[in-house]
Amino acid sequence: MESTATTELAAIVRRAQKGEESAQRELIGLYQHRVAGFVYAMTSRSDYVEDLSQQVFIKMVRAIDRLQAPAQFESWLFRLARNTCIDQLRRQKLRRIFLPFGEEHENIPEPPGAVDSEELDALRHALAQLRPQDRALLALVQEGRSHAEISEILNVSVAAVKARLHRAREHLREHYQPEHET
Amino acid sequence: MKPESHAWAELNRHAAAQLPRGFADRVLRQTRGPSPESWRALFSNGAQALRPGFAERVVRMTRIAADVPSVGSHLALSAATAAICLGAVLFLHDRSLERADARNIADWERIVELADDDATNV
Repeated sequence: MESTATTELAAIVRRAQKGEESAQRELIGLYQHRVAGFVYAMTSRSDYVEDLSQQVFIKMVRAIDRLQAPAQFESWLFRLARNTCIDQLRRQKLRRIFLPFGEEHENIPEPPGAVDSEELDALRHALAQLRPQDRALLALVQEGRSHAEISEILNVSVAAVKARLHRAREHLREHYQPEHET
Repeated sequence: MKPESHAWAELNRHAAAQLPRGFADRVLRQTRGPSPESWRALFSNGAQALRPGFAERVVRMTRIAADVPSVGSHLALSAATAAICLGAVLFLHDRSLERADARNIADWERIVELADDDATNV
């Protein structure tokens, strides 16, 4: 079952590599929600989701012909998503140096109804306290990437992934306080 | 009951009153970390932030982006224009030098001829 899905996906990727617009559209449709979820986990900002997801998929369409192994499409796509989000967070940090706005002006709270539970709010709050690299690591795990895949995405060993993941989880637990006062 | 026992009981009661309701649950939740449901809700919130027709918009944007000349092509065009201008300037400069040389040589030849004529007449 898994291999059938993988073969089908590889076929779509190959068609997209040849420049078939319908295949590109199909890939975007297949992954848009997962990428959007990942972007939200990375940035905690729903107003960034569409813009950053769009950037990820534009990069995907432009660079897909350079992807040598269509079977590794998912890892490759989430590497694009991770790098796009980290770049955005870096730019945001730089902007904060040059603009006279404080962090509180950038971290505009989600509108009422956007965050539907205290636990979710606590998770967003805890993630926001972590380094972007740690956030990416946790989000990739939640996205279903294996340690081996993450090691490929980050260009580090599996052992290093496990160690970093352990540290990231510890930090998340430290900051995770449901019913915290904000 | 000893007076100190009473004091201890009071102290314990006071300390317990400081703990908020649901303290045990909160401690347990914090120890376990975020639940899989919270993660799922987080990802699902992100997915809901996309407006309908997202894929279509991205494909359209990619098409527009492909039509817009890239920075590289802008640079290449600028470099080619600069090279052509430099070539033209060098060519014109060379031509004008040649013309000036020819004019100077002609002038000198005329002077030499005049000098020769004067010498012959003398």
